Amino acid sequence: MSGLRRFTLHESGALLGRFEPIEVDLLRLATSQLVDMLDAGAADPQLAASDGVFGRLLPVAYPDDAAAAADFRRFTATDLLKRKAQNAQIVLGSLGTDPASAADAASEGDTAGLDTEDRQPVTISLDADAVQAWLRSLTDLRLTLADRLQISPDGVVHLVGDDARFLGELYDWLGMLQEELVYTIDV
Amino acid sequence: MTKTAEHTELREEVSLDRPWVTLVWDDPVNLMSYVAYVFRSYFGVTPKQAERLMLQVHNNGRAVVATGNRESMERHVEAMHGYGLWATLAKADE
Repeated sequence: MSGLRRFTLHESGALLGRFEPIEVDLLRLATSQLVDMLDAGAADPQLAASDGVFGRLLPVAYPDDAAAAADFRRFTATDLLKRKAQNAQIVLGSLGTDPASAADAASEGDTAGLDTEDRQPVTISLDADAVQAWLRSLTDLRLTLADRLQISPDGVVHLVGDDARFLGELYDWLGMLQEELVYTIDV
Repeated sequence: MTKTAEHTELREEVSLDRPWVTLVWDDPVNLMSYVAYVFRSYFGVTPKQAERLMLQVHNNGRAVVATGNRESMERHVEAMHGYGLWATLAKADE
């Protein structure tokens, strides 16, 4: 697939994206976790007001006025988190059904080769609304990962250990994906 | 010299006129291409203006992206948070 553009604009106005099945799986997994986290925050104002990842997703609007900042967060946090969760749901929707869970549901036949055989690149079609949802969700995913990677303001990763490499690669890949998406629509 | 009452009135007028600003801050996560895209698509500025604002954020650490009354600046900040940008509001510098 190298050398081929991932995203192309179709004459219908839709954006077509080509993905390897493993990429779809990864995106689905990361986005599902994002939805869970956003739903938890939307249901619990105290969690939404906490530092860390929610502080990244919902920055302090009034840095020099704690009372105004708290008011702003109280009035906006739930709606923002709900909209972010909706965006992530749209991303999940465009990724299609998880073949593994579909195989579980069927519960018949030989699924042993599912991960290695017959898994061709897939084409994902995105309309204008889906493109907006993808752009925002890719940002939210990267903000979330940046928190886990303990990325400091100068961009340095401070997380160490086994997770750091995988999460770092995922973070970079999502950034590449977002940039490709921006360049494709940015004409 | 003016009387105290008049003086107070004048001060109120000044503070009412002083606008608010929406600031977008540099952060290590958001891509330059995406930030410029957000400025263009949300604020409706030209690609050149969007690029200039983005570079201001990148090089100076922040940029004023909108000026106006408090309510509309809060709306802009909320929208920027929806895009995942680090935005704040403040009273404009005197």
